[in-house]
Amino acid sequence: MKNLLKSRNTGLIAVLIILLVIARFLTPGMFTSTSLVSMLQNNTIYALLAIAEMMVILTGGIDISIASQLAFVGISCTTLACSHPGIPGIVWVLFAIVLGALCGALNGFLVGYLHMVPMICTLGTMYIFRGLAFVVSGGQWWFAAQYEELNGYRTFAIGQFLGLPIILWITIILLVVAGLFLGYTSAGRRIYAIGTSRESAAVAGIKEPKVTFYSFVICGAVTGLAGMLYTANYAIGYYGMADGFEMTAIAICVLGGVSITGGKGRMDGVAIGALIMSVITYFISMIPGMSVWQKSLQGGIIIVAVAINYFTEQSAKRQALKERSALI
Amino acid sequence: MPGSNYDRDLSVKEGFVLKKFLVKWEMILVYIMVLINVLLAVIKPDLYFTHGTVQSMINAGLDVSPLVLGMVFILLLGDIDVSVAAQMILGGMVTGLLMDKGLPSLICVIVGIIVCMLCGAFNGFCVAFLEMPAVITTISTSMLFRGIVEIVLGENSLKNFPKWYNKIGWMNIGGIIPLSMVLFLIMGAIFIFVLHKSPFGRKVYIVGNNPTCANYSGISVKKVKMQVFILMGFMAGIGSIFFIGRMGGGLSSSMGTGYEMTAIACAVLGGVSTNGGKGKMWGPIIATFIMAFLTYALGLMGIDPNTKKIVIGVILIVTILISTINKQMIKDIKLRLFYHNNKNIEAINDRTAAAVKDMKKQIKELEKGNASDKAAQIEKLNKKIEAAQKECKEKSAQWWAEQQENAKKAKERFK
Repeated sequence: MKNLLKSRNTGLIAVLIILLVIARFLTPGMFTSTSLVSMLQNNTIYALLAIAEMMVILTGGIDISIASQLAFVGISCTTLACSHPGIPGIVWVLFAIVLGALCGALNGFLVGYLHMVPMICTLGTMYIFRGLAFVVSGGQWWFAAQYEELNGYRTFAIGQFLGLPIILWITIILLVVAGLFLGYTSAGRRIYAIGTSRESAAVAGIKEPKVTFYSFVICGAVTGLAGMLYTANYAIGYYGMADGFEMTAIAICVLGGVSITGGKGRMDGVAIGALIMSVITYFISMIPGMSVWQKSLQGGIIIVAVAINYFTEQSAKRQALKERSALI
Repeated sequence: MPGSNYDRDLSVKEGFVLKKFLVKWEMILVYIMVLINVLLAVIKPDLYFTHGTVQSMINAGLDVSPLVLGMVFILLLGDIDVSVAAQMILGGMVTGLLMDKGLPSLICVIVGIIVCMLCGAFNGFCVAFLEMPAVITTISTSMLFRGIVEIVLGENSLKNFPKWYNKIGWMNIGGIIPLSMVLFLIMGAIFIFVLHKSPFGRKVYIVGNNPTCANYSGISVKKVKMQVFILMGFMAGIGSIFFIGRMGGGLSSSMGTGYEMTAIACAVLGGVSTNGGKGKMWGPIIATFIMAFLTYALGLMGIDPNTKKIVIGVILIVTILISTINKQMIKDIKLRLFYHNNKNIEAINDRTAAAVKDMKKQIKELEKGNASDKAAQIEKLNKKIEAAQKECKEKSAQWWAEQQENAKKAKERFK
């Protein structure tokens, strides 16, 4: 019980409930089941990107190229699907995952094996992927009418299964699988070990370049999936899409308690963080005239979240010091 | 022992060596710049030699230049600031709003710069005193600052700016020398002096290299970080003048996205390490010109601005990769590729190579001179070289076999 009260997730859930209560009074129309589902469906891309971003942040790096990767993969899928409309949708899902993994492998190779600084490396690849998205698309835009003609392309986003859209099921399954992977497999624990301390991880026999490489590959694969689902969900495709999504993904991670210096953070926190973020964005879009506030609110939320992270870490350190001195 | 790897030169002062000077990173940047210009002059001679092309190239690329100068200091600390573009726009907005109120233009400009400095101070406070990571702080403050601009301006744009803004972006002194270049070079000279000659610059280097060491040497790391971030804010304020001047005296909330990335790219291209503590001021100054020429040249060749992004991204990555290549890295790769990860084999190969080089030198000297038993001595040395190489090969093969056998044994034991 004491642990439960102290846990960060309890605080996050409290924030979520407070937000929902405020939303209840300001926008009563929000609390129907259809609008709640549509709220989740519209913001689930952020959750997918947050999973991807978390894999990299846990190793102590950062990936700011994911939005460009998303655009590149989404555009590639759309272009190919439009030229071969007969191919079933599942092929495009798999294609997106493979292409995304290749994008991630480029980042991973540069960061892991050639020891580039993650921020600068992904800054470069951000330019490259965004440019490639333009080259692949040729500057063309795709709209709902074109997507409807494709054979089952949109099914994976908007098709219904047990009363929920399939994209939501995919996100939920990925959250659970990624959480289990990080928490309970040796590969996942290695990612944490690298983020906590590179030196001790290397001494313990963990191949640091390899783990970094694979964390970027996983990040890319999830981002690629998100790219295909983005086009399928919103039925729009152009080279500039998802601009600035990487910031939102980082915001969700930080909000969910992932330490930006690596090695700390759990998937349940990220899931709650994604929920809070989606409630805020939806809530803001419901109130007329509030949409201009979105950016500064998000920025403010990240700063406050990082500051809270910092102070809780400090108090935890002080607590640990006290306990140690009590032992002496 | 001449020619061996182990002699150390402990003298501190290095004289001017032309051979070293010519392969310095800054000189390589100069070559690249010349190369770009020559290529452009060859490919598009009718455009290049038209009056005003070079001037407009420089003018077009230098609106980002103040940000580059400030960014060098930030990167030298080992931090990063991606909120500079947003700071720049926020400062410009304050100036524009005050100008709309009818205040004298000088006060408006100064207030705009002060606002930018306050933004920088906020970043600095978060990074230095709250010890938040610079990346995440400045990402969120960039959203915050740009969000404020969006809230205040909405869809509107500001058009009322001092008249001399436009001159900075477009005027050429006497029709030949761009005003922006003159201003940039003056600022660059001041920054070179501050970074390389003043105590403050040395403090920045120490803090970037090793904050703990700086702390023990009696340098207040927090204060230095704070000062650098405020300096960055000041340069963002100056940058807003350049930027708005270049944009023709107009400002809206969506302008200038991506300028922070261009500034970082210029600084990194100029040889500033993002890990902090490494880099010179004149590299980024040349790199800014390279970036200006490059973007304009690609535009002249009819390459789409979005495709240009690929080129810039590739250049950024390749230059950083080149700058990370050093002797140690080449040695590591050699060790892995040729010497089977065996340090003994590496050592004997290195030693033999040094000895062979030494003997070949002796042969050359003998050939030049006119000793009586010249031919015999050369023969003797040649035989020696052959013997040494043979021994080296045999020993490496033997050790490699031993290593393989050991690995085999180890594998069997673990089965």
